[in-house]
Amino acid sequence: MQRPTDLERRGTPRKPLHTTGAARHSSRVTAAFALPPYQPPADAAAVRAEVRAFLAANPPPADAVRRANCWSVADAGFSRALGAAGFIGMVWPRAYGGHERPAMARYVVLEELLAAGASVGAHWIADRQTGPLLLRYGSEAQRRKYLPGMAAGTLFACIGLSEPGAGSDLAAVRSRAEKVPGGWRINGQKLWTSGAHNAHAMLALLRSEAGSERQSGLSQFLIDLDTPGISVRPVIDLVGNHDFNEVFFDDVLVGEDALVGVEGEGWRQVTAELALERSGPERYLSSQALLVAVIDAARVAKADNAALNAVIGKLVAELWTLRQMSMATAAMLADGADPVVEAAIVKDLGNDYEQRVPMMVQAVLDIDLDGSTELARVLAHLLQVSPSFSLRGGTREVLRGIIARGLGLR
Amino acid sequence: MSAMRAQLVATAQALFASAPDWAAIEAAGFVQLLVPEADGGFGGDWGDCFAVLQVAGACALAQPLGEAMLAAHLLARAGVVPPPGLVTIGSGAGAVTQGLFTGWVAAVPWGRDAVAVLAAVDTGEDDPLLMLLPAGRVTPGENPAGEPRDRIDHDRVTAVVLGRADHALYGAFLRVAQAAGALAAALDLAVAHVNARVQFGKPLAKLQAVQQALAVLAEESAAVTMAGAAAAAALDGGGGPFEMMAAKLRTNMAIHRGVAIAHQVHGAIGFTQDYPLHPLTRRLMGWRSEFGGDRWAEVLGAVALAEGGAGMWAGITRRG
Repeated sequence: MQRPTDLERRGTPRKPLHTTGAARHSSRVTAAFALPPYQPPADAAAVRAEVRAFLAANPPPADAVRRANCWSVADAGFSRALGAAGFIGMVWPRAYGGHERPAMARYVVLEELLAAGASVGAHWIADRQTGPLLLRYGSEAQRRKYLPGMAAGTLFACIGLSEPGAGSDLAAVRSRAEKVPGGWRINGQKLWTSGAHNAHAMLALLRSEAGSERQSGLSQFLIDLDTPGISVRPVIDLVGNHDFNEVFFDDVLVGEDALVGVEGEGWRQVTAELALERSGPERYLSSQALLVAVIDAARVAKADNAALNAVIGKLVAELWTLRQMSMATAAMLADGADPVVEAAIVKDLGNDYEQRVPMMVQAVLDIDLDGSTELARVLAHLLQVSPSFSLRGGTREVLRGIIARGLGLR
Repeated sequence: MSAMRAQLVATAQALFASAPDWAAIEAAGFVQLLVPEADGGFGGDWGDCFAVLQVAGACALAQPLGEAMLAAHLLARAGVVPPPGLVTIGSGAGAVTQGLFTGWVAAVPWGRDAVAVLAAVDTGEDDPLLMLLPAGRVTPGENPAGEPRDRIDHDRVTAVVLGRADHALYGAFLRVAQAAGALAAALDLAVAHVNARVQFGKPLAKLQAVQQALAVLAEESAAVTMAGAAAAAALDGGGGPFEMMAAKLRTNMAIHRGVAIAHQVHGAIGFTQDYPLHPLTRRLMGWRSEFGGDRWAEVLGAVALAEGGAGMWAGITRRG
């Protein structure tokens, strides 16, 4: 090392940085949204080790196609094992079969399951949405009846929102519940109901006030799917998978105890739960199996492909950023905030990313999509199913409308 | 945000909005932000640096504040006391023989005004040699926004060699912070414009196509801000190289998408010399090329290939 000479020790005495003492700017001075950086808890590594040990003992499917988009892949046996290990209903009270663990421990478990491609589809909705909604709005009897089975990974739920005439425009729901002595009579049809054929119960949004319009007069009902008058028919998707269903209600009689929360408050209850649904790791990890497969294949082949390296590097940079955004939003949720716009941002950016993964890999990889290798099969699978990522759980256009409202444009 | 950081930001907002000269910035003490208190500095952290440079970016501050902050920080870390006046940073090539440097440094921000340049010099080895160089023969140049980017040639000058290291990733972090501010400011201009501008008998803001486009700009702005804040947090936690690379790559992507939208919703109005959008967007476009461009993608990709698929994920989650 050279000795400092004439440039050294001639500095003027340094002044401290003096602030003007101007008033702290309190409210937002910009329309831009900034998420507070998230500091992981000290025990995150221990939780991660715990779930990785579980995955080592209960490995995800060997076939990468089954590991892709894995929260649409149901395996009741896996869900039961996961529940027995205490990884479902993690934040719920022990009194209802939960484990009273911190929200961010649950986040670690979810992202590890998804990154590994575990078949979490059977219990996913109950754990993410139906259980938390019952804890928020459900009666004591409903919690006692449903939550322990959900946490055990043996009682599965589905969401009854969309109908033939009500997709993105959810307020167009027409399926109805009429008050009858001792309960309610339900008639109508739900459509695009993921996992209804595996589920034991449906949380349905129904019109409970005859003649009501739009957002008013709607209520939520938790309906056991073995109730007489309910029929579930498959709607096969474009790759031949059975995920969607149509569910018919024909003079279905349920008790008064099927109503969840407050009669007529269904719209408010449903929209409040959407932030839970939109910012989780499932919104950017649906193509993770392909990213892992292409990295491993290139490594084995000792590929010297600068373009492929660059694509992988860009995807890794995006993945890292999305994960930071998703965790920061999850931390806001855990603190009781209501980050509706932030969740919409995470979902839209995440969906865009997980849709671009197969496109970018395809563009840079010289590979025949002939099904002859695992990489070719998982790439072909994701090229076909990835358009659904920005449809499910709030379309891209609906999300951008929410963000635009947050910007004060509507 | 801590009370101290909020006050820093308020001070920066008041000063930077007035297009201050370099002396005013130096007098306010911002250059010493990352210098430890024990060395007479402000003792701020990288999160403070990120917050202040966001303000600089939002104000399109035409001064080498980030560069000077970084030079002061790295010199303090090496125990070298800088000369009075502007010390900026740069990269170049050359050789040191018997303590004397011969070579060049290119595209040096405000090189013409600097009394010294903390330069990362390619000497033919794997890692560049970090050295403090005095003023030299200046060939002026400028970036797309008209900011000085000068070449400086040296012939047998005294160099204070700090050791083998590169500061390019720190430079990338500076640009991420400025870009976070500039993109947010471009979003603010765009939102104000579409609310005020009436076409088809209503404000542009009421057109769904415009709303959807600005939602994407808001998303990109949020992504850059998150990436930069997370990189700052990593630096404050003792890490940082992976995060600085990832943040710069994500920022470059956001500039590509965001600048286009900001201009699109402004129409021809945003394309004039008088309108305050171009000081933001021209800088943003130039910053994409600075401190690595997209070449960090190949580095990150090579790391991922070396780690394998599972190792890549383990690496990301290990960083918090």
